[in-house]
Amino acid sequence: MSFMDILRAEYRLVYNDVFRRKSVLLTLILYPYIFTAFTLFIGYSAGTPSDFIQRVGVDPALYLITASYMLTSVLASLDDLLWKPLFDTYTGTVIYILASPVNRLKLYAAIPFPRLTLLVLMGFTSIIPVYLFYFGLNGVLLGLIIMGVITLACLIMIPFAIFVASSVHRVGESWRILNIVRPLVIIFLGVYYPRIYMPLGAYIVSSLIPASHIVEIAQRILIGMQSGLFTLFSIAVTLAIIYVPIGQFSLRSWERKKVKEGVKTP
Amino acid sequence: MSTLIEKYDNRVLFMDNAVEVHGLVKTYRIKKKHGLLKSSTEIIEALRGVSFRVKYGEVVGLLGPNGAGKTTTIKILATLLLPDSGTARVAGFDVVKEPDKVRRNIGLMLTVEKGFYGKLTGRENLEYFAALYGLNKRKATERINHLIKLLELDKLGADVKLFEEFSLGMKARLSLARALLSDAPILLLDEPTLGLDPPSARRIRELVRELARSEKKAIIYTTHNMFEAEIVCDKIIMINKGQIVAEGTPGELKDKIPKLKILNLMIRGRNNLEALLKNIDLKYEFKIEEGDIFNIKIHSRKPEDILGELLKKLINNGFEIITVKIEEPTLEDVFIYFSEGAQ
Repeated sequence: MSFMDILRAEYRLVYNDVFRRKSVLLTLILYPYIFTAFTLFIGYSAGTPSDFIQRVGVDPALYLITASYMLTSVLASLDDLLWKPLFDTYTGTVIYILASPVNRLKLYAAIPFPRLTLLVLMGFTSIIPVYLFYFGLNGVLLGLIIMGVITLACLIMIPFAIFVASSVHRVGESWRILNIVRPLVIIFLGVYYPRIYMPLGAYIVSSLIPASHIVEIAQRILIGMQSGLFTLFSIAVTLAIIYVPIGQFSLRSWERKKVKEGVKTP
Repeated sequence: MSTLIEKYDNRVLFMDNAVEVHGLVKTYRIKKKHGLLKSSTEIIEALRGVSFRVKYGEVVGLLGPNGAGKTTTIKILATLLLPDSGTARVAGFDVVKEPDKVRRNIGLMLTVEKGFYGKLTGRENLEYFAALYGLNKRKATERINHLIKLLELDKLGADVKLFEEFSLGMKARLSLARALLSDAPILLLDEPTLGLDPPSARRIRELVRELARSEKKAIIYTTHNMFEAEIVCDKIIMINKGQIVAEGTPGELKDKIPKLKILNLMIRGRNNLEALLKNIDLKYEFKIEEGDIFNIKIHSRKPEDILGELLKKLINNGFEIITVKIEEPTLEDVFIYFSEGAQ
């Protein structure tokens, strides 16, 4: 059973679904702008753009569109892995997936890819136009670099997402738990609130998320700070590798619990 | 058997029994909350020592009232539920210790109405599950083409219609197609014709018989439909309250219940019928149907033994025979008899 066959199947499943629901596609394109507008609105009530530039070193609109793009892309793998088992329970497909001989790690590694691809490509409709406006043609190059870095962050996020999603589902398969986990990961990824400003405890928790290091790389590139990029990259990759067996163990544990209780027939 | 080994050459099929279940026990503990702090646990004994065997080429029907333990048995065999005790081997593999090997050898149909992605066509759904069952692109396309044709899904538009637009009959056919995707030697079908229109139900029944006969697949088939069980299954296992209460071919099961066969005669004549029937040492009843037409019902274990003698007497006494029927107890009688707790 090759990973490529599973991956191809996942792509067909997601793309047939997304392109047959036009509203989903529109939402995907609009998300970074909605996030940016919302955060700017809140931000302007707290201080002026010059305060932000003075503190962070970059225009807030530029920073927040990048942050929103990073968030929607990087969070996609966690979102998909948290959401898909619940969706499969709702559609009744879960029993057939669990009764199939498919390698669970390969399947759960493949699940986020289609949406990740779509979201990374959404860089062309979110950050690239804004960068072009701010930096001219150089902005396109910068946008492509940021998109490349975010692709890396997305890939590195997958083993961690498998671990978190299967642990969460082990506790309870419910939308309510998802709504607790997601905001926490959003905060600790450091996309809106750079890690360097976090209190020590939060900084340590954030450091355990592999993609948070890549997010910091993107932020450093954006503000023109190029030191320590390789160190951050090495930490992220090492962490991602560590999370592979942990994620696999967590997946097994979740399935064992599910089978012990009995997989529900819809 | 050699043909079978040839067909499933990469799998272990050297044993006679496709499925061996021994002393299977499963208890569900359901927690119920009462208010904020109080809770109680309800214990349901779903299976209480179920044992049976299924051979290759055999269709075995699991029959029983709701909550008897049929679906629990299927789920354990499909590795979707762990038993508390007892063993179950599918294609020679233990369902608890070797679930992956079991999964490679089963085709499963647990629900008809759900179980597919609504925004995908029938073919796209099958392509997705083919990947999960380890079929590469070429093999999957070949197999799906074959199954779509076999189940006449092409005529119903499974290639273009989204699953959410399917009728129940189409959904059932697609569900059976998925169970057959990996060409597994063992099929677990849980109420595959439930709620279907007659043509779809008939097509599925025909196909199940055909798969057992020509491809030597071992098939476990649960149903509530007695007529269906009688025509589809080689052997029937009746489960009630988590225990097997009867097992055998439909004929054997009918012989197990005390109900007698009925010899039903429709005759025409004007002579004294009562005087004639008095000599028969069996329970009988008769009534006038219309004018000189009588209906006689004689209850006997073996009405065939008295039929010749009786007909001779009736003809000699000037009666004309219109119809002769022997009514056997139905499987429904057997089902009711055993599900009411008798043994």
